[in-house]
Amino acid sequence: MNDTAISIRDVTRSYGKTPVLDRLDLTVKAGSIYGFLGRNGSGKTTTIKLLAGLGRPESGEIAVLGRDPWAFTAEDRQGVGYLSEKQNLPPLMKVRSLLAFCSRLYPQWDRELCEGLISRFQVPVNKRVSALSMGNQRLVGIILALAPRPAVVLLDEPAANLDPVARREFLDEVLDLIREGERTVFFSTHILSDVERVADEVGILAQGKLRVSESLDSLKETVKRVRFYGFPGNAPEPPPQAFGWRVRNGEALGTLKLAHPGEPAALAAAWKCQYEIIDLSLEDIFVDIARN
Amino acid sequence: MFIALHPSSGVPLYLQLLNQLKERIASGQVKPGEQLPSVRELSADLKINPLTVAKVYQILEREGLVETRRGMGTFVAQKVETLPVAARRQALDPAVRQLVAEAIHLRLSEAEVVELIARHFQQLHPRNSSNQP
Repeated sequence: MNDTAISIRDVTRSYGKTPVLDRLDLTVKAGSIYGFLGRNGSGKTTTIKLLAGLGRPESGEIAVLGRDPWAFTAEDRQGVGYLSEKQNLPPLMKVRSLLAFCSRLYPQWDRELCEGLISRFQVPVNKRVSALSMGNQRLVGIILALAPRPAVVLLDEPAANLDPVARREFLDEVLDLIREGERTVFFSTHILSDVERVADEVGILAQGKLRVSESLDSLKETVKRVRFYGFPGNAPEPPPQAFGWRVRNGEALGTLKLAHPGEPAALAAAWKCQYEIIDLSLEDIFVDIARN
Repeated sequence: MFIALHPSSGVPLYLQLLNQLKERIASGQVKPGEQLPSVRELSADLKINPLTVAKVYQILEREGLVETRRGMGTFVAQKVETLPVAARRQALDPAVRQLVAEAIHLRLSEAEVVELIARHFQQLHPRNSSNQP
């Protein structure tokens, strides 16, 4: 299998005069779980729709499993699962009938997996869709996306409306899927603790561009908050690699992307001051990057 | 294997796992020659990404703490091959710096800290604690 599951090159897309994606570049390795982060309106949903073939970029190239999603054949679509942000399930249909209907659209539909998901998520299949809670409707959408066993799964805010127990079951399911082998999961979310639990790669979208796209481990190891104190004179200007920089009472607090672990010590030596390194959670990192 | 991980901590998940496995190996809770759970098993058990576990096993292997036998699995190394002294010192340096900073805040003297460290050596690694280089 190809090493790259998803590739976005130089993609621009706007709605009317509002630019949403501005020459976006993004690569997702096959077999990874990619957590796609960004504030509301940052273009996450637009990106996922383009990946699902539900829209076309104004310029640039997109490939999912080596194919342009806009030109997907019915066969190509079998390989890509998609859960939309605002899913639209037929309200009057019973869940059991809906699943039976969809199963016939997919030759590779895995009946056993489908039943397993129903019992794992405890979805009441004999009710009409409209009678389900928002969370259970979401779980039905997730089952529909996963049961055909697609090689690439695109999930737009899958965890929205799920209670903590359902969310944990969903995350465990995603991990089980990955453990079985060559599958790629690309999901957007605002629940950063979910990303920290399962994702190996994270991307942060802001102002139509990807500000960060790397492994979660290296992000946590290289983005640090550093407190510099004891300057002989005034606090210095922020170094270029700072995402944030605040000065108060002669101390400076900066969020820095470190090229190497010795960087804070080198800066402190140059400024003739002391320093302290503070580890950041993904949420801290996200807020500092997305706010900028 | 019971291991407590905190995904939302500022410490990367793989480092949390690595440190805990190292402590279990150092203290003999997992003995030389003993088999570690497979990447699949441990990731399913801890409910984390299998790549995270694979990365930790790779690091442990590189540092000579475990060995992978083809088709059999990962085992705690019989003879712990050690990195050069300089590399080992460097690896420990950040933790020591933090420890010393904490000790200063708590107004503990150097001698008191050394005594505490000796006690932990005694607990974790009683055989070799006195005359290690």
